[in-house]
Amino acid sequence: MRFRTCQIVVAIVSLLAVSAQAQEKRKCTTPPAECERIIRQMLSGRRYLGVQLQELNPGLSVKSVVEDSPADRYDLRPGDRLMAVNGKSTRDATIQDFKQILGQAKETGRLWIIVQRGGILKKIELRMEPYTKAQIDKIVAQHMAEAHNIAAAPAQR
Amino acid sequence: MRRSDRVSVLVPLLIMSIGLGVLAWRSYELSARLEDGVNTLASQYAGYAADITARRTDSVVRNAIFEASEEWQQIERRTAVPTSASLEQWMKSNEWISSAIYVPDVDPTHSIFVSEPVGRHTNGTRLTREFYTSSGLVRYSYDPDRLLERVQPVLHQQPLMQRAETQPQAQLAIVPAPSKHGDARLTDGFAYTAPLAPPLSGYAIRAFVRTAYGSSGWENARYISVWVSVLALALTALGAYLALHGLKREAETMKLRGALIANVSHELRTPLSMIRLGAETLKRSSKLTEKQRAEIEDAVLREVLHLSHMVENVLDVARIQNRSTKALAFTPVYPRELVTSLVSTYESWITSRGFEISLQIEEAVEEQLWDRDAVSRAVLNLIDNAVKYCGDTKFLGITLRQSPEHVIIDVQDRGIGIAAADLPRIFDPYYRAQFSDTQTRRGAGLGLTLVQQIMVSHGGRVEAESTPGTGSTFRLLFPRGSASSLQTAPALAEAPQPF
Repeated sequence: MRFRTCQIVVAIVSLLAVSAQAQEKRKCTTPPAECERIIRQMLSGRRYLGVQLQELNPGLSVKSVVEDSPADRYDLRPGDRLMAVNGKSTRDATIQDFKQILGQAKETGRLWIIVQRGGILKKIELRMEPYTKAQIDKIVAQHMAEAHNIAAAPAQR
Repeated sequence: MRRSDRVSVLVPLLIMSIGLGVLAWRSYELSARLEDGVNTLASQYAGYAADITARRTDSVVRNAIFEASEEWQQIERRTAVPTSASLEQWMKSNEWISSAIYVPDVDPTHSIFVSEPVGRHTNGTRLTREFYTSSGLVRYSYDPDRLLERVQPVLHQQPLMQRAETQPQAQLAIVPAPSKHGDARLTDGFAYTAPLAPPLSGYAIRAFVRTAYGSSGWENARYISVWVSVLALALTALGAYLALHGLKREAETMKLRGALIANVSHELRTPLSMIRLGAETLKRSSKLTEKQRAEIEDAVLREVLHLSHMVENVLDVARIQNRSTKALAFTPVYPRELVTSLVSTYESWITSRGFEISLQIEEAVEEQLWDRDAVSRAVLNLIDNAVKYCGDTKFLGITLRQSPEHVIIDVQDRGIGIAAADLPRIFDPYYRAQFSDTQTRRGAGLGLTLVQQIMVSHGGRVEAESTPGTGSTFRLLFPRGSASSLQTAPALAEAPQPF
């Protein structure tokens, strides 16, 4: 009985040690303030669209739309098939081709997308927008919690 | 020296100088052209090396950036949902990236951020890049200096240099981009700066080509050519001086030879005339008294002796100068005995001229290995000179002594003396002091030359001290050595060569 108890204790301690080591491995050695500064610097002012695409072979369709993103606001919906973006046909395009067009429109952020929804072509004119402060705060908080073991501060709006 | 002689030396030298001058000028001009050519090549090569290396660097940088994005795409394909561990692994294989964030398309708020360990943080500048992936966006910041470390091998590749062992002609380095690109001439070479393309447009490749022509020191061939020309001209001038000097001496010797012929022929003619006159008188005049006959015979004998003495002198000088005949015959000689016998032989002749003789001989003088005849001739020549150049006080002093190193024979007179200007030249052949008295006294100008040559042959020397109007002292210094210690007869020593 006693021997079994010892075995359990050893197993628990080993598990804790392994998990601690695993946690330690992922831990970020950069000071938290520095991490926060870099994250904010990297994301502030950057535009995003907010859609996840899937390849149809050939062609592309919207897989999901991020809630409250520019894509959501300008009425892109999951299942929309992208026919053309900024005057370029995406009928046979891959995700990489689409990303390339996105990269070219990075400066202005303007996109003219023709989608096929339920057999009807629809033109959507939208503008990519910067990440919101709330999004950036959330990303920072997430990094702090995961890499620095700092509990997330209440979101400030 | 005649004008034509001078011209005959100077004209060839002038032609040589002109030739040298033309060569020097041509050499200078060629060096200048060579310098221009080398400078053009060096500056062009610097530009070429900098541009080529900059483009190679751009290519390496572009490749590194492209490979990094490709590698991430592969990681993304392997793992359905990228994690911070995969991002960290990606950064490790691209060590120049300092921090990165992956923003997934599906939900930006689930971004992953990884920053490199603290130890690798530097205060250097950071640049940012991004690339879209199939499921999101990766933005990363990187240290350009670390990225450029990958370029170091490129800097060791000399453009156009085929062989590895060839010394690099251009020194290549990465420098911060200067405000002005292009070429620049430096003190010791040429430099060219070529900017790198974005994203590293803040940097440039600087190529420096060292060339000796860039410097103004001794390495510059143009300066070497100038100095060599100056040296050549200086040597030519020295040659001209030496040639003229030699010509002058030659002319002087010729003059002396002329004087000898005139002098000797005059000296020969006078006693010959006297002898002929005496002989004719003896033959034709039967009415001469015994006393008159004896006087004439004495006069003839005296003239014959004088003639014989002079001819001996001339022959001895010629023989010793030419060094063509046998060595002197060195035999053990007692100097005391030699001097006393010489004086006793000529005593009656000397005293008949009204001279008072003072003979001082040290008893202790050892036996020496001398050529008896030659030493006797030397002493006799000095006695003859003392008698010949006598003044109002007719005194002849002969001293034989020895010092620790020398056996010394002094011959002293109170005659007319020798001027200080003539003293250095009295031992030159055919030289006779140029003042009125000597013209009335007979001689060929060879007596003292012979004395000096005999002394040199014995390893000794002759010294002369004189005050005009008071008298002269000639000192013969023989190296001291006993006859027994001198086993072999010394060869004929090098006599001075006046010609």
